[in-house]
Amino acid sequence: AMASSGPQNPSQIMPLELVDKCIGSKIHIKMKGDKELVGTLLGFDPYVNMVLEDVVVYEISSQGKKVTRLEQILLNGNNIALMIPGGEGPDN
Amino acid sequence: GPNPGGGGAKPGGKPGGKPGGKGDAQSEKKHKETIIDLSKHMDKPIRVKFAGGRECSGILKGYDPLLNLVLDATTEYLRDPEDSSKLTGETRQIGLTLCRGPAVMLICPADTLEPIANPFVPQD
Repeated sequence: AMASSGPQNPSQIMPLELVDKCIGSKIHIKMKGDKELVGTLLGFDPYVNMVLEDVVVYEISSQGKKVTRLEQILLNGNNIALMIPGGEGPDN
Repeated sequence: GPNPGGGGAKPGGKPGGKPGGKGDAQSEKKHKETIIDLSKHMDKPIRVKFAGGRECSGILKGYDPLLNLVLDATTEYLRDPEDSSKLTGETRQIGLTLCRGPAVMLICPADTLEPIANPFVPQD
Protein backbone atom coordinates (compact mmCIF):
# COMPACT_ATOMS: atom_id res chain seq x y z
CA ALA A 1 0.00 0.00 0.00
CA MET A 2 1.24 3.51 -0.73
CA ALA A 3 1.95 5.65 2.33
CA SER A 4 0.15 8.97 2.48
CA SER A 5 2.31 11.76 1.24
CA GLY A 6 0.31 14.93 1.63
CA PRO A 7 -1.54 16.82 -1.12
CA GLN A 8 -1.20 15.05 -4.45
CA ASN A 9 -1.84 16.31 -7.91
CA PRO A 10 -3.73 13.43 -9.59
CA SER A 11 -2.25 14.20 -12.99
CA GLN A 12 1.36 13.82 -11.91
CA ILE A 13 3.47 10.69 -12.24
CA MET A 14 4.51 9.31 -8.86
CA PRO A 15 8.18 8.33 -9.01
CA LEU A 16 7.90 4.95 -7.37
CA GLU A 17 4.93 4.06 -9.55
CA LEU A 18 7.13 4.70 -12.57
CA VAL A 19 9.67 2.24 -11.19
CA ASP A 20 6.93 -0.29 -10.48
CA LYS A 21 5.69 -0.07 -14.07
CA CYS A 22 9.18 -0.91 -15.22
CA ILE A 23 9.26 -4.31 -13.51
CA GLY A 24 9.90 -6.92 -16.19
CA SER A 25 11.46 -4.39 -18.56
CA LYS A 26 14.92 -3.08 -19.22
CA ILE A 27 16.11 -0.19 -17.10
CA HIS A 28 19.27 1.91 -17.38
CA ILE A 29 20.62 3.09 -14.04
CA LYS A 30 23.24 5.81 -13.58
CA MET A 31 25.07 5.79 -10.25
CA LYS A 32 26.37 8.90 -8.51
CA GLY A 33 29.86 8.08 -9.78
CA ASP A 34 30.78 7.04 -13.29
CA LYS A 35 29.15 3.64 -13.25
CA GLU A 36 26.06 2.71 -15.22
CA LEU A 37 24.06 -0.48 -15.45
CA VAL A 38 21.47 -1.85 -17.84
CA GLY A 39 19.37 -4.84 -16.84
CA THR A 40 15.90 -6.27 -16.51
CA LEU A 41 14.17 -5.05 -13.37
CA LEU A 42 12.83 -7.90 -11.27
CA GLY A 43 11.85 -5.84 -8.25
CA PHE A 44 12.73 -3.15 -5.75
CA ASP A 45 12.12 -2.25 -2.12
CA PRO A 46 11.12 1.00 -0.38
CA TYR A 47 14.76 2.11 -0.29
CA VAL A 48 14.95 1.49 -4.05
CA ASN A 49 17.46 -1.29 -3.66
CA MET A 50 16.92 -3.20 -6.91
CA VAL A 51 17.04 -6.79 -8.11
CA LEU A 52 18.19 -6.93 -11.72
CA GLU A 53 18.99 -9.72 -14.13
CA ASP A 54 21.06 -10.01 -17.32
CA VAL A 55 22.96 -6.96 -16.22
CA VAL A 56 25.62 -5.12 -18.20
CA VAL A 57 27.79 -2.85 -16.05
CA TYR A 58 29.61 0.04 -17.68
CA GLU A 59 32.48 1.69 -15.84
CA ILE A 60 33.19 4.97 -17.62
CA SER A 61 36.62 6.55 -17.38
CA SER A 62 38.96 8.66 -19.47
CA GLN A 63 40.36 5.37 -20.74
CA GLY A 64 37.01 4.28 -22.14
CA LYS A 65 34.24 1.99 -20.97
CA LYS A 66 34.90 -1.23 -19.09
CA VAL A 67 32.01 -3.63 -19.54
CA THR A 68 31.09 -6.59 -17.33
CA ARG A 69 28.10 -8.89 -17.37
CA LEU A 70 26.24 -10.34 -14.39
CA GLU A 71 23.32 -12.76 -14.34
CA GLN A 72 21.40 -11.55 -11.35
CA ILE A 73 22.24 -8.89 -8.78
CA LEU A 74 20.95 -6.98 -5.83
CA LEU A 75 21.92 -3.37 -6.43
CA ASN A 76 22.33 -1.23 -3.30
CA GLY A 77 20.12 1.83 -3.79
CA ASN A 78 22.42 4.16 -1.84
CA ASN A 79 24.39 5.29 -4.86
CA ILE A 80 21.69 5.45 -7.53
CA ALA A 81 21.30 8.92 -9.05
CA LEU A 82 19.20 8.50 -12.16
CA MET A 83 17.01 5.77 -13.66
CA ILE A 84 15.82 5.50 -17.26
CA PRO A 85 12.98 2.98 -17.74
CA GLY A 86 13.40 1.19 -21.04
CA GLY A 87 16.89 2.60 -21.42
CA GLU A 88 19.40 0.61 -23.46
CA GLY A 89 22.67 1.97 -22.16
CA PRO A 90 25.31 4.64 -22.71
CA ASP A 91 25.93 3.62 -26.29
CA ASN A 92 22.50 4.65 -27.54
CA GLY B 1 14.09 2.08 13.51
CA PRO B 2 17.12 2.02 11.16
CA ASN B 3 17.73 5.21 9.27
CA PRO B 4 19.30 4.60 5.89
CA GLY B 5 21.52 7.24 4.35
CA GLY B 6 18.81 8.23 1.92
CA GLY B 7 15.92 9.46 3.98
CA GLY B 8 13.11 8.18 6.18
CA ALA B 9 12.51 4.58 7.08
CA LYS B 10 9.76 4.28 4.48
CA PRO B 11 8.60 6.36 1.56
CA GLY B 12 6.10 8.98 2.65
CA GLY B 13 7.18 8.61 6.29
CA LYS B 14 8.94 11.27 8.36
CA PRO B 15 12.39 12.13 7.04
CA GLY B 16 14.35 10.87 10.06
CA GLY B 17 13.33 13.99 12.00
CA LYS B 18 12.98 14.45 15.75
CA PRO B 19 12.73 11.13 17.52
CA GLY B 20 9.70 10.79 19.81
CA GLY B 21 7.99 13.70 18.02
CA LYS B 22 4.27 14.19 17.66
CA GLY B 23 2.13 11.10 17.35
CA ASP B 24 0.78 10.06 13.98
CA ALA B 25 -2.59 11.71 14.48
CA GLN B 26 -0.96 15.11 14.92
CA SER B 27 1.84 14.63 12.42
CA GLU B 28 -0.37 15.48 9.44
CA LYS B 29 0.22 19.23 9.86
CA LYS B 30 4.02 19.04 10.04
CA HIS B 31 4.01 16.07 7.69
CA LYS B 32 6.93 16.20 5.34
CA GLU B 33 7.26 19.86 4.52
CA THR B 34 10.06 20.25 2.07
CA ILE B 35 11.56 23.71 1.89
CA ILE B 36 10.82 23.82 -1.84
CA ASP B 37 7.28 23.61 -3.18
CA LEU B 38 7.61 21.50 -6.29
CA SER B 39 3.98 21.95 -7.28
CA LYS B 40 5.04 25.40 -8.54
CA HIS B 41 7.47 23.71 -10.94
CA MET B 42 5.14 21.02 -12.29
CA ASP B 43 5.24 20.77 -16.09
CA LYS B 44 8.07 23.31 -16.19
CA PRO B 45 11.72 22.70 -17.08
CA ILE B 46 14.03 22.36 -14.11
CA ARG B 47 17.75 21.79 -13.68
CA VAL B 48 18.90 19.09 -11.28
CA LYS B 49 22.39 18.55 -9.90
CA PHE B 50 23.30 15.32 -8.19
CA ALA B 51 25.78 14.35 -5.52
CA GLY B 52 28.76 13.00 -7.47
CA GLY B 53 28.58 15.68 -10.17
CA ARG B 54 25.91 14.54 -12.63
CA GLU B 55 23.60 17.25 -14.00
CA CYS B 56 20.45 17.07 -16.02
CA SER B 57 17.37 19.07 -16.86
CA GLY B 58 13.85 18.15 -17.86
CA ILE B 59 10.16 18.85 -17.47
CA LEU B 60 8.97 18.03 -13.97
CA LYS B 61 6.19 15.47 -14.26
CA GLY B 62 6.04 14.17 -10.72
CA TYR B 63 7.67 14.09 -7.32
CA ASP B 64 7.23 12.68 -3.87
CA PRO B 65 8.05 13.96 -0.37
CA LEU B 66 11.46 12.25 -0.45
CA LEU B 67 12.35 14.39 -3.49
CA ASN B 68 12.33 11.55 -5.99
CA LEU B 69 11.55 13.31 -9.28
CA VAL B 70 10.07 12.25 -12.59
CA LEU B 71 11.47 14.29 -15.48
CA ASP B 72 10.32 14.15 -19.09
CA ALA B 73 12.41 15.08 -22.13
CA THR B 74 15.47 14.78 -19.91
CA THR B 75 18.76 16.23 -21.11
CA GLU B 76 21.92 14.91 -19.53
CA TYR B 77 24.90 17.29 -19.42
CA LEU B 78 28.05 15.31 -20.11
CA ARG B 79 31.25 15.90 -18.18
CA ASP B 80 34.89 15.89 -19.20
CA PRO B 81 36.27 12.36 -18.54
CA GLU B 82 39.57 13.90 -17.40
CA ASP B 83 37.99 16.48 -15.08
CA SER B 84 34.56 15.51 -13.84
CA SER B 85 33.81 18.99 -12.51
CA LYS B 86 33.82 20.39 -16.06
CA LEU B 87 30.90 20.15 -18.44
CA THR B 88 31.87 19.50 -22.03
CA GLY B 89 28.84 21.33 -23.41
CA GLU B 90 27.68 18.07 -24.94
CA THR B 91 24.26 16.78 -24.02
CA ARG B 92 22.31 13.58 -24.43
CA GLN B 93 18.54 13.25 -24.63
CA ILE B 94 17.47 10.43 -22.38
CA GLY B 95 13.68 10.74 -22.33
CA LEU B 96 11.58 9.96 -19.26
CA THR B 97 13.72 9.52 -16.15
CA LEU B 98 13.51 9.16 -12.43
CA CYS B 99 15.88 11.18 -10.25
CA ARG B 100 16.57 9.61 -6.88
CA GLY B 101 15.76 11.97 -4.01
CA PRO B 102 18.75 10.96 -1.86
CA ALA B 103 21.11 11.91 -4.69
CA VAL B 104 19.46 15.22 -5.63
CA MET B 105 21.60 18.13 -4.48
CA LEU B 106 20.12 21.10 -6.31
CA ILE B 107 16.87 21.93 -8.09
CA CYS B 108 16.27 25.22 -9.87
CA PRO B 109 14.22 26.48 -12.81
CA ALA B 110 16.09 25.59 -15.99
CA ASP B 111 16.24 29.17 -17.17
CA THR B 112 17.76 30.72 -14.04
CA LEU B 113 21.21 29.17 -14.34
CA GLU B 114 23.84 31.02 -16.36
CA PRO B 115 27.65 30.98 -16.54
CA ILE B 116 29.42 34.09 -15.24
CA ALA B 117 33.03 35.27 -15.24
CA ASN B 118 35.05 33.73 -12.44
CA PRO B 119 34.63 36.13 -9.50
CA PHE B 120 37.57 34.63 -7.62
CA VAL B 121 40.23 35.44 -10.16
CA PRO B 122 41.95 38.72 -9.16
CA GLN B 123 41.14 41.41 -11.69
CA ASP B 124 44.21 43.39 -12.71
